[in-house]
Amino acid sequence: MGKRKKTNGAGAQIKKHILTAIGYMIPLVVAAGLCMALGQFIDGDVRNSTSGIGWYLYKAGGFGMAAVVPVITAGVAFSIADRPGIAPGLILGFICTEIKAGFIGGIVAGFLVGYLVLAAKKYIKLPQSMQGLMPVMVIPVLVTAVASVLMFTVVGQPFAWLQQALTAGIAGLQQGSKFVFGAVLGSMACFDFGGPVNKTMSTFVNGLMIDGVIEPEAVKFIGSMVPPFGIAISCLLTRNKYTRQEKEALKAAVPMGFCMITEGVIPIAARDLVRVVFACVCGSAVAGGLSMVWGVGAPVPHGGMLSVPLFTKPVQFVIALAIGSIICGVILSLLKKPVTEADENFDDLGAAEDYGADDGKIKVETF
Amino acid sequence: MKIVGIAACTAGIAHTYMAREKLLRGAKARGHEAKIETQGTIGIENRLTYQDIAEADVVVLAVDVKISGEERFKGKQVIRVSTAAVIKNAIGFIEKVEKALENLK
Repeated sequence: MGKRKKTNGAGAQIKKHILTAIGYMIPLVVAAGLCMALGQFIDGDVRNSTSGIGWYLYKAGGFGMAAVVPVITAGVAFSIADRPGIAPGLILGFICTEIKAGFIGGIVAGFLVGYLVLAAKKYIKLPQSMQGLMPVMVIPVLVTAVASVLMFTVVGQPFAWLQQALTAGIAGLQQGSKFVFGAVLGSMACFDFGGPVNKTMSTFVNGLMIDGVIEPEAVKFIGSMVPPFGIAISCLLTRNKYTRQEKEALKAAVPMGFCMITEGVIPIAARDLVRVVFACVCGSAVAGGLSMVWGVGAPVPHGGMLSVPLFTKPVQFVIALAIGSIICGVILSLLKKPVTEADENFDDLGAAEDYGADDGKIKVETF
Repeated sequence: MKIVGIAACTAGIAHTYMAREKLLRGAKARGHEAKIETQGTIGIENRLTYQDIAEADVVVLAVDVKISGEERFKGKQVIRVSTAAVIKNAIGFIEKVEKALENLK
């Protein structure tokens, strides 16, 4: 595969590496976060316990959380450099945790490791008889040694500083700015129903959550769940504005929304993109702002309504979510036009209407 | 024409399978045969066999993340897109594939 021409832009490549790492991180954070939260749920005084089911779960979750940054670093390095990236990536990730360079530092460390591995593969030439040493000794030892020293000395420090400034900045926000911050995050979370804008927002708030700032994470829950609930409310208010297919789609989208999977609403949004996005953004922005102001915190990154009992202020969360969904539903019902015969025939396979799909020419590569 | 491909997204739970579904339906609508493997968080499903790949006219990788087993497509014509592009306009995408392959001839 080394001979393959680079046809994708550098930006797309960087995005791919980060998304790959996040893909590996999600189940880890869900498992660790839910175990920790369950542990606290079972044993109220779990921090001072030394045994019992609650403590076991809490401890397990704690180990999982400690492994989050290493998994991200290893994931980025793996995406860039394949298997040889994993071992040095894990080690570098623990260094990032140690020097408090956090999530962002972890991603940067992954790039550092990945490209060092690629460089080592390219420039270090060993005699044929010693080739076997490359993957088991030369690359892991050399890359780990070089990257670790760099991380501890020059590379890590700015990120440690950045992470600290970010955490302190958010903690020190005034009520007004909190609302704006929550509103922006809420809008981003629902803007493209699980697409790149949502993922950017998720990456940011997941990073904060790992570093102990859990309020923005709750806003992510809001932004992911307002669209399905809001559209469902709108459909109940004005049934004539939804096609048969859309009502069918909602039957799947609502339970999916309950579990915090927004993607179920995409077929409904696709037919009427501007109005649906506008309504969802309005609802999520208000709800996100309220959630931030009320100080709702989510200690886990996923799980939808199932995770809500583990939140710091579950009641306020549900109220914020309900307000957001109602705003979204009412606005949508006011804006939407009644269904016509042509709408009933709308085919979500595309071609009927092009709404800004990435329209670049496709490239054929020969592998 | 016979299309094989892989779908894989970040979270590996929703877009992966939507992209697969759209590719299959889009290909069918344009009169092609398609087989799409998914690499979600659950692992690989609908794995492409060597025979599938050997018989295919084109390989479509609708992927947002690193996938495994790319080396299987050595010597094939490969098209790489995001899952979102396929989900948004499957038929449009398949038409583009047709045109792109036509231009190669």
